[in-house]
Amino acid sequence: MRTLLAIAGFELRARVRRLSTWVYFAVFFALAVLWTAAAGGAFANASVSYGSEKVWINAPMALMATVGVLAVMALPVISSMLGRAVQQDFEYRTESAFFSSPITKGQYLGGRLLAALASIVVVLASIALGVAFGVQMPFVQADRVGAVGLLPYLWPYLVIVLPNLLVLGAIFFSLGALTRRMLPVYITSAVLLVGYILGTSLAEDHETRTLASLLDPFGVTAVQHLTKYWPVAERNTRLVPLAGELLLNRALWTGLALLVLGLCYRRFTFTHAGGARAANAKDASTAPSAPAAASSDGRWKQAAEAGPRWLAALGALTWLQFRETVKNVYFGVIVLTGVLFVAATSFSLDDLYGTSTYPVTYKMLDLVGGQFGIFVLILITFYSGELVWRERDAHVDQLHDAMPVPTGLLFGSKLAALLLVPVVMQVVVMVTGMILQVLKGYTHVEPGLYLRHLFGIQLLHYWGLCALAFVVQVLVNHKYLGHFVMVLYFIAMTFAEALGFEHRLLHPFQAERVVYSDMNGYGHLLPKVRWLQLTWGAAALGLLTLARLFWQRGTVVGWRSRLVVARSRLTRPVLAAATLALLAGSASAAYVYYNTNVLNRYVPNHRQEDDRAAYEKAYRARLLALPLAKVTAVEVHVDLFPSTQRVHAKGTFTLTNKTAQPLSELWVNHADPELVPTSELALDRPAEVIVDDARFGLRGYRLQAPLAPGAQLRLAFDVTAQARGFRNGAPATEVVHNGSFINSAQLLPRFGYREELELVSDNARKEHGLPHKDRMRARTDPSGLARSYLSGDSDWITFEAVVSTEPDQLAIAPGYLQREWREGDRRYFHYKMDSPILNFYAFLSARYQVLRDRWNDVAIEIYYHPGHAYNLPRMIASTKDSLAYFTKAFGPYQHRQFRILEFPRYAQFAQSFPNTIPYSEAIGFLARVDDQDDQDLDYPYYVTSHELAHQWWAHQVIGANVQGATVLSETLSQYSALMVMKHKYGDAKMKRFLRYELDRYLLGRSREQKREVPLARVENQPYIHYAKGSLVMYALQDYLGEERVNAAIKAFRDQAAYQGPPYPTTLELVAQLRAAAPPELRPLVEDLFEQMVFYESRALSASARALPGGRYEVTLRVKAKKVRADELGAETEVALDDPIEIGVMGADGPLYLEKRRVPAGESEVKVEVHGRPVTAGIDPLNKLIDRTPGDNTIGVEL
Amino acid sequence: MLTVRNLSKTYPNGTQALRGVSLDIPRGLFGLLGPNGAGKSTLMRTLATLQDADTGEAKLGGGGASGAGDLDVLRDRAAVRRTLGYLPQDFGVYPKVSALDMLDHFARLKGFSARAQRKEVVESLLRQVNLWEVRGKALGGFSGGMRQRFGIAQALLGQPRLIIVDEPTAGLDPEERVRFHNLLAEIGEQVVVILSTHIVQDVSELCNAMAIINRGEVLLHGVPSELLTRLAGKVWRKTVARGEVEAAKQEHAVLSTRLSGGQTVLHVYAAARPGDGFDAVEPALEDLYFAAIHGHLKMEAA
Repeated sequence: MRTLLAIAGFELRARVRRLSTWVYFAVFFALAVLWTAAAGGAFANASVSYGSEKVWINAPMALMATVGVLAVMALPVISSMLGRAVQQDFEYRTESAFFSSPITKGQYLGGRLLAALASIVVVLASIALGVAFGVQMPFVQADRVGAVGLLPYLWPYLVIVLPNLLVLGAIFFSLGALTRRMLPVYITSAVLLVGYILGTSLAEDHETRTLASLLDPFGVTAVQHLTKYWPVAERNTRLVPLAGELLLNRALWTGLALLVLGLCYRRFTFTHAGGARAANAKDASTAPSAPAAASSDGRWKQAAEAGPRWLAALGALTWLQFRETVKNVYFGVIVLTGVLFVAATSFSLDDLYGTSTYPVTYKMLDLVGGQFGIFVLILITFYSGELVWRERDAHVDQLHDAMPVPTGLLFGSKLAALLLVPVVMQVVVMVTGMILQVLKGYTHVEPGLYLRHLFGIQLLHYWGLCALAFVVQVLVNHKYLGHFVMVLYFIAMTFAEALGFEHRLLHPFQAERVVYSDMNGYGHLLPKVRWLQLTWGAAALGLLTLARLFWQRGTVVGWRSRLVVARSRLTRPVLAAATLALLAGSASAAYVYYNTNVLNRYVPNHRQEDDRAAYEKAYRARLLALPLAKVTAVEVHVDLFPSTQRVHAKGTFTLTNKTAQPLSELWVNHADPELVPTSELALDRPAEVIVDDARFGLRGYRLQAPLAPGAQLRLAFDVTAQARGFRNGAPATEVVHNGSFINSAQLLPRFGYREELELVSDNARKEHGLPHKDRMRARTDPSGLARSYLSGDSDWITFEAVVSTEPDQLAIAPGYLQREWREGDRRYFHYKMDSPILNFYAFLSARYQVLRDRWNDVAIEIYYHPGHAYNLPRMIASTKDSLAYFTKAFGPYQHRQFRILEFPRYAQFAQSFPNTIPYSEAIGFLARVDDQDDQDLDYPYYVTSHELAHQWWAHQVIGANVQGATVLSETLSQYSALMVMKHKYGDAKMKRFLRYELDRYLLGRSREQKREVPLARVENQPYIHYAKGSLVMYALQDYLGEERVNAAIKAFRDQAAYQGPPYPTTLELVAQLRAAAPPELRPLVEDLFEQMVFYESRALSASARALPGGRYEVTLRVKAKKVRADELGAETEVALDDPIEIGVMGADGPLYLEKRRVPAGESEVKVEVHGRPVTAGIDPLNKLIDRTPGDNTIGVEL
Repeated sequence: MLTVRNLSKTYPNGTQALRGVSLDIPRGLFGLLGPNGAGKSTLMRTLATLQDADTGEAKLGGGGASGAGDLDVLRDRAAVRRTLGYLPQDFGVYPKVSALDMLDHFARLKGFSARAQRKEVVESLLRQVNLWEVRGKALGGFSGGMRQRFGIAQALLGQPRLIIVDEPTAGLDPEERVRFHNLLAEIGEQVVVILSTHIVQDVSELCNAMAIINRGEVLLHGVPSELLTRLAGKVWRKTVARGEVEAAKQEHAVLSTRLSGGQTVLHVYAAARPGDGFDAVEPALEDLYFAAIHGHLKMEAA
């Protein structure tokens, strides 16, 4: 042991003295400080948080995240330090000295391992120190920091970092020791990273989260899995317990580590590197020396003087370098990992509700576009080092460098070989992708699209990174340091945006995301990609020219000598090439800048915040309470020009003074100023412009003669939106070549103060010196009741539109088609609505195919992209079933027509406008529902039903602009769709669906930015109004009965339809539901809508005794508890007085299912059933909200 | 003919590796003798275009009269490399590549573009260095001697006018060394071959010209037989017991000590017989070497 410690001590001292150790330390310290400071609000333009801004930056969870994630980023450092622990002896040829000394294998290996682990612990300790230091910084906001002790700082090391080091250490150490090379170590670290990536992508679906938790060798996914449902209060105070999946993960991987170490100990031998092998080769020198062939043969001379064909040589040398790179088992491992990655992720291809989609080519390409890219980056980083260092590593550099080869040829062949590495990967990916498509029974393989995307777009990006990595290796001239510089670059790029560096020109060599859609192809998105590629391409050439000067040839030592050499190589052509590249790059960058900052408005996030704060400060006081005339009629003429991405709209708003007093002011906002820079406005009467604020697109008029109560005025508008060049941020996708979809809020002027522009985040408001603001008004606030939550400048309007488009497209707006005609090369459609609608509508245009059907007197039309017909029958069926159910349960459908219109996948939603539902290509149209598979959920059916329900819930009943408003639109639509689904697919499927909703709700509240509120007071929080809404409404109809609930909702609709102002609120809805409930269930209704209540139900044991006649007596031990949570999720136990379902399940369904009073705590239940029981439990169908829904049932012992 | 003038080199860490080295190296084998760290390898690498000198120059004669076709070794590197063969002191090989493939690769780097021609050259060289039988074997399995012969084969590619071999016989067994010497002798008939070594025997057996350098300076420079005449009558031998060696070293300018049958044989430098028991000996190259590095002989004004 003493010898072991002596070895470890010597090694540790050597490492502590090494500069690189402290460079690593400094880097991770700085990253942790920077990260913490950014999360603490130190930088005005940074946006970093730990899920919710209510989580302290030094909360146990935040520390876990920071330390855990940065420790994953330290992977290259870990692999290098541990891999080299033994391998260095072979590299420096010091192994014989150690192997011949009187130490045992165990002492040697143990000492080295210990020293390497200790030094890496020293390096990684910098992260916690960095956070502790960052928290103290004066620029960190005090309320972002909590009072935590020492343990939360140590805990991540105990459960994450140290076990990780043991696992990774064992693997890297053993690989380095056994193979005596570093490449296998690096390759393995890449493979492990793929495990991590796979883990994160699998973790998106709750059903594969356990698997994901185990797969991730870093334990990060397991921590996330364990803590995913923790609300803010718990994130701030609880330590992550070493239990459940985390414990399993740690045990699994630690076990593996010990196994690997044992193997390493057994296989490692104290022998000299080449010792054994040298004996094998027969030394031919014992053969008599043949007379030497005359070497002074004239032909050689000729060869050398004729001038060799260097171009051919370049090809041959490249091939040689490339072959050396790929012709080994490691590259094979990489390729195999790539294939497995693509295959594994393709099985959960864009799943929604656990239901797969058709593997269309662009979906396969999405797989390799995102996270797989990280894998390729690692390859490029490693192989750039290997290629640049190959001769020096093999000690043949002096032989090579004295050869009469132009330096450029050596340089060029290595670069070219590196460029071939991603080509191989892309070929592998393409073949894998196509095979997978066919295996999944999808035959519409598009090789052209693969080629275009993988080679025409993505490969160019990889080549830029190849150039960068190569240049770094040449300039840094130290392989491992070069790798580290690349890692720093990747880290910097990952966080650049969050730290406020938003301009694309500040993200050198980074890929530009490009979305391919079946409807619109690459559309208008390529120019930005190409110009950025041109910019970085030119930069790469310039850098390569520079690197070529510094290419190490011979034994040049020190920077001064390297500079001398570089200067001597700086010839006129080189200078010219560099200048040319610089000029081309600058010109291209200038063009990018012209597009992003001149043609378009460049508004970084923090400036956007500044604008919004300034708007509030300038106009809130003056305009918020100002009485307004409201829009009562809209006539609009819209011309869409898809191929030039232009839209022109003109028309008139009729505004009516619905107040009791004369109005003398009119305030008009332009639509989205980025989209519609100017509007021309004309009032039908004399008025004076009192404010014309270009910054906010706001204009104020004072009418010469005030508008009398009940009087009307007309405002004519003429607006044009023309996409110009490309933007820095997400591209404009409203008017595109095929599949335009633009709504009225984006295009047309609006009136009055726009409260929705005010900043919401507490932190942001504080930073801008704005007073605290509640997200929404209370349900009794008169100013909130005076308007709907969708629109402040109108109630119900009449609507008429003419839409024109290009001749091969169809244009659609809400209303009924009155007339269609052609004029010149334009096609015109005249739509008119015959019932009042909200002041919110959309215009669409595309090359559509149309499917028509009918339900009673309602015309059903689906406008879809040719080839996307997979789910049209499901949509039609859903429409018919829903119309039947809704008209019966809630009242008549106000329109005579129902239209679904597909739009490109730039956005992924469906949205309900009057008789018109734009429906994204990405959801539903490509779903692949297998009706035989009871795991699959028919979500095209569900989404269609939900959107159709909005024709009642939003378009008949619209909530006031107060808390709970979205219950009246979204929750009621969810409920309506759930009922239609329940009748079609039954309770079992609904349990699956609700399980997803529960997951969404619990995840959503854990990421709450302000505060969670009860359903009836929801503040437009999707996880509440959709997910919790589903759970609450389903439980409600289960407890009260569907008929009773429907009757209450119908009564509510009858009183609230087309009502406003004052607009309806959840107070009226809940009153109806409460009235419908039997008295004993009224507290439950109260809990569901007005409280945040959780049940902790658990089945402890179940046994059964057979009785005569096929009957069984089942004894079930259960535990029950009910808690109430506050706004941040802190829980207090409350009395349990609700009936809870007790169930016994047989092989073919429930044998017993009844709601009973169950006391809090443990209790025993006995029931008698007919048939053999399989499982039993408390709330077995998860009807109540429970944070651990999986433990409600248990197998029955017979 | 290679002319070196005033070559100096100081490394960034302050080591003065070369201090004003001037040499005239004729066609044939030229021996560069010196102890470890004398600056031999620095000089070799500099002449092999792998390193810069701080000052000085080196010219490789083109054989033409009045310097026509001369190459500036320090500047005209590309041209020098076309006519250079270099065998470094410490070189590696790709362990899994065969001798044939590796030499073929080097031939390509030398500028043999045509496959047929390259094949011919490679075959002829592998035969010349006696590796033809093992051409398909991986280089990783080669013995030290085979590896050195492979090294010389690659150095001979392209019929170089200047061949530089750095410590080629270190670590070779006697038989291999003889074989290697034969190879060098054969080559040395046509071109300039610089052989750096710390083994005196290499030089005495092979070279028609030589230089001795130490601490970056040229101590002696010329034809071995002529240089040896300067020691004539000045080297004396005495056999003493091992315990007396230290005393003798105090008293005399001891050139070398060698054990022989349990006793120590001293070679001492002195203008006249230094005392009793000293016998005059015919000076050998080894005596010259030690006399030079111990500072007993100074260069005559060149």
